[in-house]
Amino acid sequence: MNIAPFRANGAPEAGTLQLDITYALASMRTGSLLDAEGAGEAQEQLEGLAATLPDLFGTVDTGSLDRISERLGGDGETENFAEILLISPEHTHVIQPLVARPGVALLAVSRGTSSIGLVLSAVRARLDVLESG
Amino acid sequence: MEVESSRHLPSIRVGPGVITAVLRLLGFIDELPAGATGVLHFGEHGIILLQSRRICWAVARGMRIRLTDILRHQSTPPLPREAVEEIYRTCKENGTPIGEALLASGLVTEVGLRAALFKHNGEAITQLAQSNAMPDGFTVHTKTDYDPKFSFSACEVLAALGSLEDPARAIAAQLELANTLVQESSGAAFARSDTAAGSLVIAVDRQCDFPVQDLVEICNWVAGLFDVARTFDPSACAARATWGGSIALVTWRVAELGYVGLCSSRAAAARLVSQLGQRAAAGAIAASGGETA
Repeated sequence: MNIAPFRANGAPEAGTLQLDITYALASMRTGSLLDAEGAGEAQEQLEGLAATLPDLFGTVDTGSLDRISERLGGDGETENFAEILLISPEHTHVIQPLVARPGVALLAVSRGTSSIGLVLSAVRARLDVLESG
Repeated sequence: MEVESSRHLPSIRVGPGVITAVLRLLGFIDELPAGATGVLHFGEHGIILLQSRRICWAVARGMRIRLTDILRHQSTPPLPREAVEEIYRTCKENGTPIGEALLASGLVTEVGLRAALFKHNGEAITQLAQSNAMPDGFTVHTKTDYDPKFSFSACEVLAALGSLEDPARAIAAQLELANTLVQESSGAAFARSDTAAGSLVIAVDRQCDFPVQDLVEICNWVAGLFDVARTFDPSACAARATWGGSIALVTWRVAELGYVGLCSSRAAAARLVSQLGQRAAAGAIAASGGETA
């Protein structure tokens, strides 16, 4: 399955908070966007975010995660991070590896940090669609 | 929040070799089971007394400082040597724990005793580490009557050593941790330094009790995260990574220091992220222009 990046900022309904989120899929192995059409001005950010994937997911020692998890009362073996969220004063970035497509991650970039919970809800809903599709 | 400024270990010179050696030695403690209580022997070099894998007492051959001297010099003028040594002798004769007796005498406070023990144990562990001593036995103790208030995690010892490079910076980092960490989270502050091969842990909260090598590994990963994030969002200042269902690390940076909060629940991570998100929006946490942790 291949999806084009798209923006989730359609015309807002009265009284609702408008989210400005751009999505893309990327290879966690090569750090390249799998489909870069339609990302608009967020494309550069998505490309930058995608380029970090091999570093972020390839350099972590999962044994360390397991042992820390054990001390915190968790259990089970860790394959890698399930979600990474990065915050700056202007943007919220989310990385969600897909279970259904190993080695591929859903990337999302949102403007602003005032509604991190809403951004995460939207990204997870998008992920559910991708995982079930 | 209580900041134990007298924790410093002035007689230790910290360098990359020392940090590596101490990490190696503390690694032996981390490998013991969670309930390990007893004496870890290092041949003729010394011992470390543990209760539930926490460090209660350490002695190294040829140590330059003694607990009685540390305690005496916490006061101005110093406590009379005879008074402290008399209590010490009595305890040796009747088996009373020295800490209890000193507190009962009124000569030292709880905070003072903890700081003195910390200094003594830190010196001993550093000396043991520098002698390249290997553990050669563990004598199990069945009694667990040592007061946990006066025991230390391996992470605390590591951070105390890291704090020596810049004690004022370490105290500021400890305050930042105390002001930011939430319930069900525990964490560390770290810096980049020539003193350590990777990240130098300079402060931890008192609940921080993780394998030291793994804590450093996480700090290194976080430092790398901010490095790569700088390429597409130079003002990125906080992040969260989740794994294993409910476990999460939340990280943020203030000026040149990095912070990691390890959370045992999704709720704790959410509270921490929410708080950092608000601070980020207000510009209260932000990276400096230079290289950061």
